[in-house]
Amino acid sequence: MSDPQTVDALLDSRLMAHLDRLDVVSKKIFSGKIHGERRSRRRGQSVEFADFRNYSHGDDLRFIDWNIYARLDRLFLKMFLEEEDLSLVIAVDASASMDFGTPNKMQYARRLAMALGYIGLVNNNRVSLFAFAGDRIERLTGLRGRRRTREMGQWLLDVQPNGAADFAQACRTIALGGQGRGVLLLISDFLFPDGFERGLRSVAGRGFDVYALQLLAPDEIDPSRHGVFGDLRLVDSESAAEIEVTASASVVEQYRERLDAHVAALRQYCVRRSIAHQVVETSMQLETLLVDYLRKRGLLA
Amino acid sequence: MTVAPPTVLAIDWIAPVAGAVIAASTLPPLLALYFLRLRRSRRVVAATMHWRRAAEDVRANAPFQRLRFSLLLLLQCLALALVALAIAQPQVDLGLGGARKIALFIDRSGSMGALDAADGSTRLAEAKRQAIDRVRGLHGGGLFAGPAPSIMVIAFASEAAVLCPFTDSAAQAIAAIESIEATDESTAIGGGIEFARSFAASGREDAATSGSAPAVWEVFSDGRIGDLGGVALRDGEDLIFHQIGSSESKNAGVGAIAVSRMPESPTEVRVFARIVSWGKVETTTDLELRVDGRLLAVTPSPVELAAATEDAATGTLIPAQTQAVFPGVQVPSGAVVEVRVTADDLLPADNAARVVAPRIGGLKIALVGRGSFVLRSVVMGLSPAAFESFTLETWDKRVAADPSSPDAFDVVILEQVAPQSMARGRYLMFGAAPVGTSIVPFGTKEQVVPRSIRSEHPLMQYVNLDDLFVASMTAVAPGSDSDVVVEASEGPMVLTLSRGPLTMVYVSFDPLETEWPFQRSFVNFTANALAWLAAGGLPAAEEPLLPGAVAAGRLPAGAQSPIVRVSSGMAAPLALLEGGRFALGPLRRAGTATLAWQGASQPATPASLSFAVNMDCQAEGRIDAADQLRLASSSIAAQPSRSASQSAWPWLLLAAALVLLLEWWVWLRRM
Repeated sequence: MSDPQTVDALLDSRLMAHLDRLDVVSKKIFSGKIHGERRSRRRGQSVEFADFRNYSHGDDLRFIDWNIYARLDRLFLKMFLEEEDLSLVIAVDASASMDFGTPNKMQYARRLAMALGYIGLVNNNRVSLFAFAGDRIERLTGLRGRRRTREMGQWLLDVQPNGAADFAQACRTIALGGQGRGVLLLISDFLFPDGFERGLRSVAGRGFDVYALQLLAPDEIDPSRHGVFGDLRLVDSESAAEIEVTASASVVEQYRERLDAHVAALRQYCVRRSIAHQVVETSMQLETLLVDYLRKRGLLA
Repeated sequence: MTVAPPTVLAIDWIAPVAGAVIAASTLPPLLALYFLRLRRSRRVVAATMHWRRAAEDVRANAPFQRLRFSLLLLLQCLALALVALAIAQPQVDLGLGGARKIALFIDRSGSMGALDAADGSTRLAEAKRQAIDRVRGLHGGGLFAGPAPSIMVIAFASEAAVLCPFTDSAAQAIAAIESIEATDESTAIGGGIEFARSFAASGREDAATSGSAPAVWEVFSDGRIGDLGGVALRDGEDLIFHQIGSSESKNAGVGAIAVSRMPESPTEVRVFARIVSWGKVETTTDLELRVDGRLLAVTPSPVELAAATEDAATGTLIPAQTQAVFPGVQVPSGAVVEVRVTADDLLPADNAARVVAPRIGGLKIALVGRGSFVLRSVVMGLSPAAFESFTLETWDKRVAADPSSPDAFDVVILEQVAPQSMARGRYLMFGAAPVGTSIVPFGTKEQVVPRSIRSEHPLMQYVNLDDLFVASMTAVAPGSDSDVVVEASEGPMVLTLSRGPLTMVYVSFDPLETEWPFQRSFVNFTANALAWLAAGGLPAAEEPLLPGAVAAGRLPAGAQSPIVRVSSGMAAPLALLEGGRFALGPLRRAGTATLAWQGASQPATPASLSFAVNMDCQAEGRIDAADQLRLASSSIAAQPSRSASQSAWPWLLLAAALVLLLEWWVWLRRM
């Protein structure tokens, strides 16, 4: 997979055609700031009937069901589903560890964010993008409508991986960012030296429908198949720390067990906090991920 | 019993110490470097936290994890081991491993002149090349070389010559091999093997450590060796036959040549030649007749030669033969007559045979003394031009009246008489001691047998005195101008004397008192002596010599500055021995050798003498290489024509290079 240099390369027309049929689904129904195309659990003024309730003083007389009053001699108020807009927040980890692997995790993250953001835009959702690396957070908020697609794509292309990410600080910033309630997509490898717990705790319970998409390159999942073998001096891409490892079969096996344990811990943590977790191997076709995996997980419909 | 060539592949280590040193000095450091982790490749990963924990876990559970299998380390160790092995210079010895004494026998006989080597050179050149390769294979390794076997170099043809006794110096052995010159002689190896045994035995006495080591005779030959039936290997001896030459047998040559003057026209000769063909198919050839190098005649039609036939019982090849005659050719005395086969074959040396034309006219012979029937018969059988018989008194009076009268005869035979004057002339004298010469009689000796015979002397050609027993002999003391030819313990039995115009062959006993006159050797001796004396004491050159023969004789008094010219064009001065004697040869190559001189005091004697040397086509003409040596009690199969020792180090270095390439490839794959 080549490194996309243009927006068109980031999201090709064939994939766009597939994405036009998809929509972001939230398990939670939120109240938005404007009326949107999304049904809300709140009863509102849409044409779709939802329920009846007893009339109370001050209700809008236009919604009294006069037919029931004629039969029962009691006032009931017809309730309709309220259609609200959805806030789609996409946070991309831009730490140096993301610039690794074949296919590269950062490239994959850009394309994934671009695709999900595009889905949000074409469905008239409010799309916000965050990229965090080091102690800085880049953001692009308030996008709505298909016409913002190119702007979003260029922003993603300008994001460059660098340094170590402060995941907890980034999540706090996003949670308090006033983006409204909606769907939060965290795209990261979750290889944070300080752990992922504090960060996830910041966004859990804040009204977000959180999805943790953990990107892992094939090199990380099975390093022995990708030349990581023998006597090595491994250099950490973020901290530049070096360790000497004799990557024998048992050491590689230990590494894999450690990685699996890390992924399992993340999944368990997410489950406890109603966060959806999905491991994404960067060798997976993006279309397969979107159309198959994320639809099954309920993110897309 | 046929002994196959050795098939057990013994490995000699030419430089085992060097290999061990290299291995000991490189492998441990390689392992140390590996353990010291000096060769870790740098690799960037997304995060090291899982690796660090994994490594810590493994270290905690396996303290010797660094000894785990590493393909790169294995390949590096393998490459180093191969290099160390290559430096040790292993050699796959196709010969007999463990031999400390090896004698290289190199055949330089006439058949080794066949031009069937791969590069068009002779078999001898190929044999020398293989022998040198063999020496280099046995020696080498430089400073760290292990003990190499001693090598002896023997060249053999009709006789064997030790060119280099057992030596540890490869350079000396190679120089000896390179010094071997081709001959056209016949082939006999028995003497050479005796030489080698003698030298090997003396070496064992000198060095007790080598006493148990076997000796190996390695023969580089085409296998056509005449005396193999009399050769047997002893305990502790092994023989390797390096076959030289191809199985091509096409070869035609002149097997024999003879000339005789025509009685009715003494200036003309008839030339007889026997043509021999060893080819297994019929062939034809033209014959050329040359006199002193000038072409005089060619056969009017090609001579047809049948195919050689193989004796089914013995397996021997019987050459086809045919006769050819050139009648009525004008040839002067002493000219060299040559018959040449023009057919193209692999062995050019036997394509021509030469003979020196006899003098025109017979000898004028005088017989002084009792005139026995035996001597008279012998002389008359030689068809003399003139023959007169004298009593001693008549002869003395004749000489007293005219001192130069002995010059009227080519040879004067004195039978049991001693003339008063022997100042000049050529005499064959039997019995009574001469008067007035340097030969001094001092009594008689009885029951005498020959002890020393100079068989190479012209007088002794085809003369066998093994059965000679002399009841009574005149004991004489030879002078400084005498040359003893046959000697007994009691004194000279046959000697020659040359002093100015006097030339004499003196036999110190009366043949009629022995059984010698009844033997063929007496006739031959008398004929040789008459011819030798008639030539003024020069060898009788009419009979062709075989290669390897020595032409010896005495030049006429006053002869100076003798020069030898051979048919190849080379000329060299000849150093005369005491009393004007000379020994020319051994004449190892076929052709002619002409000895010329200046200043002879006798005008009648010639100023040059030619010797014809012809290859024995019957013995050396068969050129198809034998595939085995048939010894007296066993047969030795030929070893394939290649070096008996194959160096393995180039292959080991190649393998090391390949392993390094593989290691590099693996390393690149991991980077």
